[in-house]
Amino acid sequence: MHRTDGDTAEIEFLYRQHGPALLLFAQGVTGERSRAQDAVHQVFLKLIEKGSLDRVADKKAYLFACVRNAALNEGKRRDRNAPLEPDSAWFSPPDRDYAGERNLRCALGALPNDQRQVMVLHIWGELTFSQISDLLDVSSNTVASRYRYALAKVRDSMFAKENSCANS
Amino acid sequence: MPTLDDERFEAHLKRFRPLAPEPLPTVGTSRRARRTFVLGAWATAAVAILVVGALTLHIRTNRARVTETIGNVGNPGHLTEDQPLTMRSANALMAKAPSFKSMVDDMAFRAQKIPLPKGKRSAVALLGKEKIKL
Repeated sequence: MHRTDGDTAEIEFLYRQHGPALLLFAQGVTGERSRAQDAVHQVFLKLIEKGSLDRVADKKAYLFACVRNAALNEGKRRDRNAPLEPDSAWFSPPDRDYAGERNLRCALGALPNDQRQVMVLHIWGELTFSQISDLLDVSSNTVASRYRYALAKVRDSMFAKENSCANS
Repeated sequence: MPTLDDERFEAHLKRFRPLAPEPLPTVGTSRRARRTFVLGAWATAAVAILVVGALTLHIRTNRARVTETIGNVGNPGHLTEDQPLTMRSANALMAKAPSFKSMVDDMAFRAQKIPLPKGKRSAVALLGKEKIKL
């Protein structure tokens, strides 16, 4: 398949549009920003190298699936489960609410991996439960259930004591 | 079904924007590299055309000059006395002379007209005038 400038422009557009959510999702999987960055780059570089996304029906869901696979493969290759980085920021906080950003990051970090993935995919990836169910290969009910648990835990965690994440 | 509180909390969470990843390493550079390559190729082609043109012009000019020189010295009758005998003029004479003999004669019996300062006389001329009894 021949790559055209139009294909590259579309891939660049997708990178700008979904890159932040993809990176956050990959961070949730790998635990490290640098590894997450590698996974996202790897996916987009392959896309640029191989051609267009014309045959892909749901491009956003496809990108999340690719990033998830890349992040999991990267984790297998390195053969270790890195803990989530506590110090590097994940979000750009509203109104310079850095304490809130830290609380949110800690709350997300404290979630089980499957719940964190669902939450990131639904809130910042803006995928529907159905799309997430296809992506993670679980039922929609399971996705909804994981999401509800995750949301409740994050809310409790964020509005609990300020340093609660330090102990988790 | 998400409650109103859930929706408000989701909206609150969405205000936290995930950080953008670093720019792709090759997207910017590949375009730049492609543009540089195209410009480089054009520049190389232009330089090559200029060099070939200059060489062609140089060779043609040289040929014309040689032909002109040969033409000037080629006729044995036009080989003036003050013109020095060189390999080029000898070659030209050989090429243009009607016969080998006339060419050798033309080269061998050329009067030497070397200008002498005033009051000086050529020894060869004096010896030529002297009568020697054998």
